[in-house]
Amino acid sequence: MSTAALTNDSQEHHGASPATAKFGMIIFLISEGMLFAGLLGGYFVLRWAENGFPWQAGHSWPPSKDIAKLPILLTSINTVFLIASSCTFHMSEVAVQKGKSGLAWLFVTIALGSLFVGVQCYEWFHLHHEGLWFNTGGVYGSSFFVITGFHGIHVAIGVLLILWCFLRQLFYRSFTPSHHIGLANVALYWHFVDVVWLFVLTLLYYV
Amino acid sequence: MSATTIDAPVQETTSHAHTDHEVGFIRKYLWTYDHKMIGLQYLWTALAFLFLGGALALGVRWQLGFPGAEIPLIGKLLPATVAIDGAIIPGGYNMLVTMHATIMVFFVVMPLLIGAFGNYLIPLQIGAGDMAFPLLNELSYWLYVLSGVILLGAFFAPGGAPGTGWTAYAPLSSVAAYNGTPIGQSLWGAALFVNGLSSIAGATNYVTTVVNMRAPGMTMFRMPLPVWSLFITAILLILAVPVLSAAAAMLFADLNLGTSFFSPQGGGQPLLWQHLFWFFGHPEVYIMILPAMGFSSEILAVFSRKPIFGYKAMVYAMIAIGFLGFVVWGHHMFVSGMNLTLSAAFSVSTMVIAVPSAIKTFNWMGTIWRGSIEFTTAMCFALAFVSMFVIGGLSGIFMASTPVDLFVHHTYFIVAHFHYVLFGGSIFAIFGAIYFWFPKMFGRMLNESLGKWHFFLTLIFFNLAFFPMHNLGLGGMMRRIADPTVYEHLRQLQPLNQLCTIGAMGLGFTTFVFLWNVVMSLRSGKKAPNNPWNSNTLEWTVASPPGHGNFEKTPLVYHGPYEYSVPGLDKDYLPQTEPAPENARLESH
Repeated sequence: MSTAALTNDSQEHHGASPATAKFGMIIFLISEGMLFAGLLGGYFVLRWAENGFPWQAGHSWPPSKDIAKLPILLTSINTVFLIASSCTFHMSEVAVQKGKSGLAWLFVTIALGSLFVGVQCYEWFHLHHEGLWFNTGGVYGSSFFVITGFHGIHVAIGVLLILWCFLRQLFYRSFTPSHHIGLANVALYWHFVDVVWLFVLTLLYYV
Repeated sequence: MSATTIDAPVQETTSHAHTDHEVGFIRKYLWTYDHKMIGLQYLWTALAFLFLGGALALGVRWQLGFPGAEIPLIGKLLPATVAIDGAIIPGGYNMLVTMHATIMVFFVVMPLLIGAFGNYLIPLQIGAGDMAFPLLNELSYWLYVLSGVILLGAFFAPGGAPGTGWTAYAPLSSVAAYNGTPIGQSLWGAALFVNGLSSIAGATNYVTTVVNMRAPGMTMFRMPLPVWSLFITAILLILAVPVLSAAAAMLFADLNLGTSFFSPQGGGQPLLWQHLFWFFGHPEVYIMILPAMGFSSEILAVFSRKPIFGYKAMVYAMIAIGFLGFVVWGHHMFVSGMNLTLSAAFSVSTMVIAVPSAIKTFNWMGTIWRGSIEFTTAMCFALAFVSMFVIGGLSGIFMASTPVDLFVHHTYFIVAHFHYVLFGGSIFAIFGAIYFWFPKMFGRMLNESLGKWHFFLTLIFFNLAFFPMHNLGLGGMMRRIADPTVYEHLRQLQPLNQLCTIGAMGLGFTTFVFLWNVVMSLRSGKKAPNNPWNSNTLEWTVASPPGHGNFEKTPLVYHGPYEYSVPGLDKDYLPQTEPAPENARLESH
């Protein structure tokens, strides 16, 4: 154990080094992952404790026939937008690494992200109109709205963060090939929110 | 590798300690990026909460010792939700219990151990100028304050503060008609959610700082044990707290949005709350004891003038405790209705924790064994920590066994148990740490005579207040009852209850001895030298209190932190920044 730790990047008021900042973001995202694990774990228990597994006899989900159907097709298309936004965000990062501004890709990402939030909002209003809400449909409505709500807030915050990157880049050219940790960290967050969505989609809509 | 050839990394040492530049009051005390000031912010705020939480406990004890009697002096001032004609009503009693526990866990013990000492010590002990993310650090403090304001707001909510206990079991907590305080309970949930954000922000910072910001030569296994304990604690926070946040959000939704997560009418499961809560709750127990173990280890080694016995074993034991903490939560739920095979598994995993805990205890004894012990106040508290922790730890093994737990669960035996680990353990270690690091924090020594008074009175009154609770519990006294005298079988135990109350009042009084000591020492205490205890760790190589940026030069670390009484040296300590001479035989590498 005599290998010295040659890491000391404590630079006062200059912020943490890129490696440190990235490490911190990953730690934070692990914590976020546990938040969604708690929510989805609770959903798992509530759903399967009462209704059995999908391959078991007597399984019924939603628990009653009167509950509004989730718009699966619309949500699947919406998912394509979200996945695409991760790709475009990645393209903007690649562009910045090559010394370009990456602004166009960022703009497309913001548009796709906003589109996703918009469609989710529409879906909420649609379901509300159909009679499914937090307080109807028992745990079916409860878990659907709380989990998609938590995820939706994360996406909305993500869009704002990307907008912040966009404005920083537009006015100050803050992100350069050698220094773009802010952008990279927002990208990490965005990809994370994307991956969480795949879990939410599978468990809430498909299974 | 022999000690004499330890590779001292050659690195350009850059000066990043600024001379104290003038900053205004707000930038210095309220919105600062300096980890030391943030640590002190946590310290003062949490100490204020300590007095509040203690006052609530005295209300609880008054009611149990003298049920229905008017509280002297302040009884008439209490709101009608808590007391009528100066005497505590059952609903008000529940509020006092709930708020006492919530405040002590989330607003006193955690912020003191992790917020105050974590912030203060981590950068100093690993040789860093500050935390990795100073802004996040300050945000974490203000989120803590915000969560405190939200929680205290519950006192003023219509219907009053929540009265469902700190565990807030559903459906009592989740159905307004049952608890009668939906707004207070919602504020409770919101406060815990915001408090969780604060904890996660802080913990992210700690983990990142420890991994990335250590001074050259400060390998992981050269870190002082307080840093190790805080590092492991931070990892537990990262993994456990978000689950509580999720549960608190569900509770909030059940109360305010009409969801039915915990209501069987809508297909929900009240037990789900218990699982989520205790998935967080048991790691939380170790979150509140691991740093206390770290601080006490440091103090015991320094005042025994001996290396810590089994340094690596101490680290691995803490890692084991942290890991096991995640697989034992079911032992809180033996009486909640659980599959017997599952409960046996939880029994076994719980008892396994006794192994690393015993490793630590025996290592502490090995550390002081044949040391030249100096009974400073800090040392007294650290020694008492070990003794009290052993009592609390051993009574814990009783509950790990399901058949015994069925008998003692929801009795005062449990109350005695967790106060022995939380007060006898955590709070004793916190007091020890305050006496030990106060000179570094404020540049003045705490008064040792007053400190001894504080220590002995605390030790006596603590045991007077909490030891009889074992007997009360085994005598059949249930938890969370506002008036034991209504039960035939408890009337004969009432003198014990009054004994506990007298002990608690003594504890309350003793805290003012501590406060007096702090105030007088801040004003006119003896000036503290840089290294008053002849200690090895890095914080003692800089001024007391350290300047902005901590270190004039990035320190170089040559060996572990516990090189005391090294044979062949002319002094009995060897700071981590001093290379060992040729003939010295070091413990560490």
